Amino acid sequence: MTTTLKALGGRLRGQIRLIWLIGLNTFKETIRDRILYLIVVFSIIVIAATLLAASVSLGQDVRVIKSFGLQAMLFLLLVITVFSGTQLIWREIERQTIYFILTKPVSREIWLLGKYLGLALTVTLVGLIMGTEFLILLKVKGVLELIPTIATICFILLESYLVIAISLFFSSFAAPLSSAIYTFLVVLVGHSSSTLWLISQKASPAIKYLLETIYYLFPNLEKFNLRNELIYGLTVDRAQLLAVLGYFVGYSLVLLLLALAAARRGEY
Amino acid sequence: MPTLKKLTIIWVLAALGLSFASQVSYDSWRRYSPGKIGVDYNVYIEPQPPSPAIARGLSFGANEALADWYWLTLIQYYGGGTPNGKYRKLAEMFDLVTELAPKFASVYETGLVILPGEGFADEAIALGAKGERNLPNSWQPPYYTGLVHHIYKKDYLAAAQAFDRAARSPDAPANAKYFAGIYYAEANSRQTAYLIFKNISESSDSELVRERATKYLGQLELMFFLEEVIDRFQARYNRLPTDLSELVRVDLLKSIPTNPLGRVLEINPQSGEVQEQKK
Repeated sequence: MTTTLKALGGRLRGQIRLIWLIGLNTFKETIRDRILYLIVVFSIIVIAATLLAASVSLGQDVRVIKSFGLQAMLFLLLVITVFSGTQLIWREIERQTIYFILTKPVSREIWLLGKYLGLALTVTLVGLIMGTEFLILLKVKGVLELIPTIATICFILLESYLVIAISLFFSSFAAPLSSAIYTFLVVLVGHSSSTLWLISQKASPAIKYLLETIYYLFPNLEKFNLRNELIYGLTVDRAQLLAVLGYFVGYSLVLLLLALAAARRGEY
Repeated sequence: MPTLKKLTIIWVLAALGLSFASQVSYDSWRRYSPGKIGVDYNVYIEPQPPSPAIARGLSFGANEALADWYWLTLIQYYGGGTPNGKYRKLAEMFDLVTELAPKFASVYETGLVILPGEGFADEAIALGAKGERNLPNSWQPPYYTGLVHHIYKKDYLAAAQAFDRAARSPDAPANAKYFAGIYYAEANSRQTAYLIFKNISESSDSELVRERATKYLGQLELMFFLEEVIDRFQARYNRLPTDLSELVRVDLLKSIPTNPLGRVLEINPQSGEVQEQKK
């Protein structure tokens, strides 16, 4: 019994190591795409534009910096996530490197999880760079509320991780352009969840049922939106944090499991 | 014979020149040509805000950022000078920004100050009402609404009620109650005014406000006293006195008491009420 458990533990450790190695490799690969240069240049432009906009906002500079800065951060992370996420699998198939990897004792599931981890590492690095820039900007302005701001940035990262899962899910069965479009549309629907809910409450019973199904089926990305509240002095609520974390884990698991199932079918 | 490289440079410069000239020409057309394009208003310079419902639906969760975007547009629009005499879209812009960001306090204040002067007094009052709904603890929306009622609508009762609502906020300036009192007095809701001034004179932190409220209180008490004397005069002579000095002549008063506010009082010949003499 103990020997079996030990063997299982050893196997699990081995697989986690494999996921980590593939993840690290994916991370290096995406970084090599000169994503970071682009992000650094772009975020400098965004900060400059935000400061310029803030200067003509009739005393609302802090508000403008917060709303534009956080929105730009989310937008940039989503661009990386959607485009890199939908290219990752396709590129390996196009270059036929996937067959080289799969001849090794690496299952498709491990490979896909590694890809997820790698992109998550890239997004984390970019998010940390932009988040630090944002925190410094607020500090210089003398309006930094550290914990709420960090919580808001963490939620932006969580949303990006979920979008990685969405893009991997789509790219496990669709071509890169289609999966980018699908992911983009799901993100849009995910951010319209409150509108969807409002419309459903006013609709006829059949439409209401349909809209409510869509509401629960599509990812509710507005749950990760603390950006609007940060402007008005956000107080972070532990129950809210836990609920959002639970939602993130649950929904990501569903997407990853579906993507793994598609991978197991071996369409590539 | 020019080389290919030189030709390329010449072509690039020519293309740049063409795009610059087109840009200048387009801008001139946009800014100065309403007459020529047959419209009475240059729709190309004024912002064209979408309806709040559409803007909210298409904001995809970025409603505060979008509100800020329209706020900056509004400032540029207003700061850019009046196009053709009226800022037609100004009220719509304020409405849109506050629909996207209902708790953006500064927009309500700015709107209530700017809008009435540009011919949007009713829209300003509506904006103030929205501000009161969305920021129930803030004294600014009703306070500024009170000013609009007073200055632009001459509706003193509504002004008094607005100041009264403002005064209920814990952070309200002491003079909110004081203004409510003044406007109730102007609107002839003198009993309410009396109670408000009494409250202020007893509770305000500001010595100036207390002193002023006490004087208003004194004037109201004087008015009530004089009206009692006028009632006695009417009972005796079956008519209204021609002026206050007649009360002294018929020995109902030894003299007319001094008004603590220093204003001259008179009898309203229709109602018999005592009022401030119109300047």
